[in-house]
Amino acid sequence: MRAPFAILALILLAALIGPWLIDWRYDAIDWDAVRAAPLSPGHMLGTDSVGRDLLARTLIGTRVTLGVALAAALVSLVIGVGWGAIAGWKGGRTDEAMMRIVDALYALPFMFVVILLMVLFGRSILLVFLGIGAVEWLTMARVVRGQMLALRERPFVIAAEAAGTPPVAIVLRHMLPNIAGVAIAYLLLTIPQVVMIESFLSFLGLGVQEPMTSLGILLKDGVDDMDLAPHAMLLPAIVLVALLLCLTRIGERLRDRFVG
Amino acid sequence: MLELIRRRLLTALPTLAAVIILSFLLMRLAPGGPFDGERPLDPQTREALMTAYGLNEPLHVQVGTYIWRLLHGDFGPSLVYRDFTVTDLIARGLPVSLTLGALALILALLLGLLAGMVAAARPGSRTDRSLMLFATLLTALPSFVVGPLLVLLLGLWAGWLPVSGWGDGDVPHLVLPVVALALPTAGAIAKLARAGLAQVLAQDHVRMARARGLGWRRIVLVHALRPALVPVASYLGPASAGLLTGAVVIETVFALPGLGRYFVQGALNRDYPLVMGVVTLYAGLIILFNLLADLAYGWLDPRTRG
Repeated sequence: MRAPFAILALILLAALIGPWLIDWRYDAIDWDAVRAAPLSPGHMLGTDSVGRDLLARTLIGTRVTLGVALAAALVSLVIGVGWGAIAGWKGGRTDEAMMRIVDALYALPFMFVVILLMVLFGRSILLVFLGIGAVEWLTMARVVRGQMLALRERPFVIAAEAAGTPPVAIVLRHMLPNIAGVAIAYLLLTIPQVVMIESFLSFLGLGVQEPMTSLGILLKDGVDDMDLAPHAMLLPAIVLVALLLCLTRIGERLRDRFVG
Repeated sequence: MLELIRRRLLTALPTLAAVIILSFLLMRLAPGGPFDGERPLDPQTREALMTAYGLNEPLHVQVGTYIWRLLHGDFGPSLVYRDFTVTDLIARGLPVSLTLGALALILALLLGLLAGMVAAARPGSRTDRSLMLFATLLTALPSFVVGPLLVLLLGLWAGWLPVSGWGDGDVPHLVLPVVALALPTAGAIAKLARAGLAQVLAQDHVRMARARGLGWRRIVLVHALRPALVPVASYLGPASAGLLTGAVVIETVFALPGLGRYFVQGALNRDYPLVMGVVTLYAGLIILFNLLADLAYGWLDPRTRG
């Protein structure tokens, strides 16, 4: 548990404050150092094919990727918890209909739906995370609904109902706090998924747009320039993989603890 | 079995219809059209184009016409590849994508099952732990990372395999894309197979077989493998969806003339009919694969046939 936490904390810290500690901006071009190798003077990790400092770009890219991922995960949290809570509380026909919809959506090619949204409404960063959040809430809805069904039978909920507490208050005040742990565990598991989708989209040129950058864009730039400057690809690849591994690891541990 | 198929189709077909109608409506809601270029067209030409493509009809008529044509295998004209219909483009790209996907699925199953069996043979051993760590690593490595890494190592630095292109679909050109596409799925399958096998191997009928003096290989292959494959089978639906998605990136990385390439180009160029056609096709394929996975499930575990 310690190692993933430490690595994640390091990446987060670097993404947050790192850009301020570097002399170069992520979009500044150093005409005297195009495709500089790592460890060259002034550019600790070298530059890309147009002379932009790779360390600065990777730090900003990580920040953008994490920001988008967090926002998208929160969107999915809101939709998923809302949907699951209503289905679990109502039960019966409503529940069945709502879960049928979730089942049906599960069978769909999400990535393509997100791409469809990008094509239709322009490729803005806002849409990237709204779109991803809008398709990644299904597991959350299932989990929350399961928890709600179990909670409904518990004495304190029955007592609250008998005391005449309005349903909205019961759900918000008595039930949701009880599933917070599980919801957070699944939120953490959603983040690596979302990171992957964002990188995928940006890699294809359909996500975050230049001159803004993200890990996916950096990877794409690196791949295009792989034969001349392989480090430009390896750097974002390493950060991305470390991020995905740590987040998955931590999320799985938390889930096992709460769901157990 | 037939009953299962019927029940599945009953939910699958409305889903497919909903996808088609929803994406069609979304498409019409979107700002900007296919004829909005850098230079505005003169109104008359624009009007003529709109009429030619049927964009002036009321919405429900457009949806109806679209579905009617789909049922006849006509996905409409591509707006960007001027001389091609979407059906032409799909017919060109689909064989490439299906070859890629099928080979990757087979490879992933082979590698995953093999690793799962080896790992489950000695639970908790060093082999088990290192194999499973490797499997976790593979599942965390998206194919758009694995692909370029393989190209760099085996293509550019070692020079053993061609870096990109389809060739004539010959083996050297296929190796890297298929491996890159298969690895993440192989990791997931290895984990599922190991978990399934470990569970089955602890059951009474396996202990019985062992007591009768059967060899380990026979126990696994004859008695344990089939029930242990149930979790793997239930993963086949999502796996095929993942392979389809992964193929989009792999085709871009390796410059393969598959469906995913046309899809990405279509998406970048706002080629509505092309994007819609491919999304519809992908939705259909994924629903089909889920159905097949359900059937495999029923075959593996007779209790679920119901």
